[in-house]
Amino acid sequence: MTPSAISTSALSRNFGTHQALAPLTLDVPTGEVFGLLGHNGAGKTTTVNLLTTLLEPTSGDAIIHGHSVKADAAGVRGSIGYLPENVQFYDNLTLLENLRFFARLSGLRRPDARIRDVLGFLDFTGHDNHRVGTFSKGMRQRVGIAQAVLHSPEVLFLDEPTSGLDPEGVRTLRETIVRLNHEFGMTIFMNTHLLSEVTKTCTSIGILNHGRLVHHDSLRNTLAAFPADESLEDIYFQLDSAAA
Amino acid sequence: MNDTWIVAEKELRDLRRDRLFALLIAFLGVATLVSVAVASADFRNQLDAYNVYVANLAQSGSTVTAAAPQLFPLKLLRGGIEYLEILGALFAIVLGYGTIAKEKYRGTLALFLSRPVSRFSFAGGKVLGLSIVWLGVVAALTALSLLAVVTIGHAPIQGIDVARLLIAGSFAWLYLVFWTALAVGLTALSSRLSTGLIVALVIWLAFVLVIPQIGDTMDPDNQVPGGLFATLQIQKSNELAVLAQFSAFDGIRNGLEVSSVTKHFERLTFAFLGIKDQYNQQPLSRVWAAMLPYAITLTAATAASVLFAALATTRRTLQRKQL
Repeated sequence: MTPSAISTSALSRNFGTHQALAPLTLDVPTGEVFGLLGHNGAGKTTTVNLLTTLLEPTSGDAIIHGHSVKADAAGVRGSIGYLPENVQFYDNLTLLENLRFFARLSGLRRPDARIRDVLGFLDFTGHDNHRVGTFSKGMRQRVGIAQAVLHSPEVLFLDEPTSGLDPEGVRTLRETIVRLNHEFGMTIFMNTHLLSEVTKTCTSIGILNHGRLVHHDSLRNTLAAFPADESLEDIYFQLDSAAA
Repeated sequence: MNDTWIVAEKELRDLRRDRLFALLIAFLGVATLVSVAVASADFRNQLDAYNVYVANLAQSGSTVTAAAPQLFPLKLLRGGIEYLEILGALFAIVLGYGTIAKEKYRGTLALFLSRPVSRFSFAGGKVLGLSIVWLGVVAALTALSLLAVVTIGHAPIQGIDVARLLIAGSFAWLYLVFWTALAVGLTALSSRLSTGLIVALVIWLAFVLVIPQIGDTMDPDNQVPGGLFATLQIQKSNELAVLAQFSAFDGIRNGLEVSSVTKHFERLTFAFLGIKDQYNQQPLSRVWAAMLPYAITLTAATAASVLFAALATTRRTLQRKQL
């Protein structure tokens, strides 16, 4: 059996009296591309923030690549890469300077060779000394992916990675995610609204509804459980409304 | 490489290319230098007038020795110190606020917090970076002011003057770090970005403008331009005797003034530069003896402000306020 890259047990988070995430028990095996779906406010970003140690859980725990988010948050941070939604970076710094900064914070002492490797992998060369402030949204998203994988993390968290991208940017990002998973065996956990991307990228999915996980299975099993002419969008609405 | 230094280094590089920062520092520099240059030009005119007068006397065959005017080069820096007091503090707040606010609204704070960095590296790096910036700014302003005094004022500068200037510069640096660190802490603590800036500006208004102004207004000697006692030609000993009759009032006035960190900075720099007549041409040891409590308070206030920034900008606080 494949060991879990992400394993949560009754992980929950409240904001005052509002329960943003009901106790969540979830296993994502190593090497999966997991897509977390849900409407706005369903608790997707809260889940990612808890798993990346940006939020402390109200109760429960999560183990990320063998590190507990409660007991060993530093260990978690050392083994993950993270790309928040709509991140902007330091506009006055060049691409190379931005990436050097994040690489050094991740413990890479001489990061330049690794940065060039990653930029080559992302087919994003020739911009090293350009200021990030001059980059388009799609280019910034590639900077985001680059900074997230510089230190070769075991698990990569992407929060709405396709948000605001044009169709070409979406396709490039999708291909990158698939290559990171296939070539490096990286486990990827992503929040997304784009159901069409989920079918092309993810191996398993979860659906959150008002902070509760109402569905979790492999994409293949999920699609197989419904008539063949139904799209993932139809299935999503059925599962989501059934839970409501 | 240490996380704190990595953050500080990034901050320095970022600020070096920041247009707003360049504009603020240029404005502060120009205001300070214009003030020193104007005072230096006046100094030179007075010196030239005296020299012409002496030459005319000698030409007329007079044996009278004209008394030289009492001109002290370091007094020319008064305007510059006052600009640092007010504008410097304001710009230090803007810089401290900006460095945290930008991280919050750009979303880079979340990226930073997702890295395996130490608890105080964010605050430490920010404050260290800004402290280095202020050290550079104060050093540049000090050097340029000195240059203006020598080149425009043709004022003779001795080694002891440079030492006094360096001491005053050190206090200016502490004062600016105080305001920057305070703004860093307040911005980190506030969920809404504008709240941190508004609170810092209210504190600036109270402690830089209002309290010193009330103190100045309450000072009996300030009731007449040129000084009440000087206008009435009252000698210093008599002045002290008069003031002794109002010791309670003067205690309140002084207490009010010393509650402001700005007044500490002003008293320190005015004493060491000899702007305050009482300390003019006095040996440094005597000035130190008189000013030690103010020096300790300013240093302690800056240390407290840096500590506040460090405690307010921990991972836990930032996570609670940001996410």
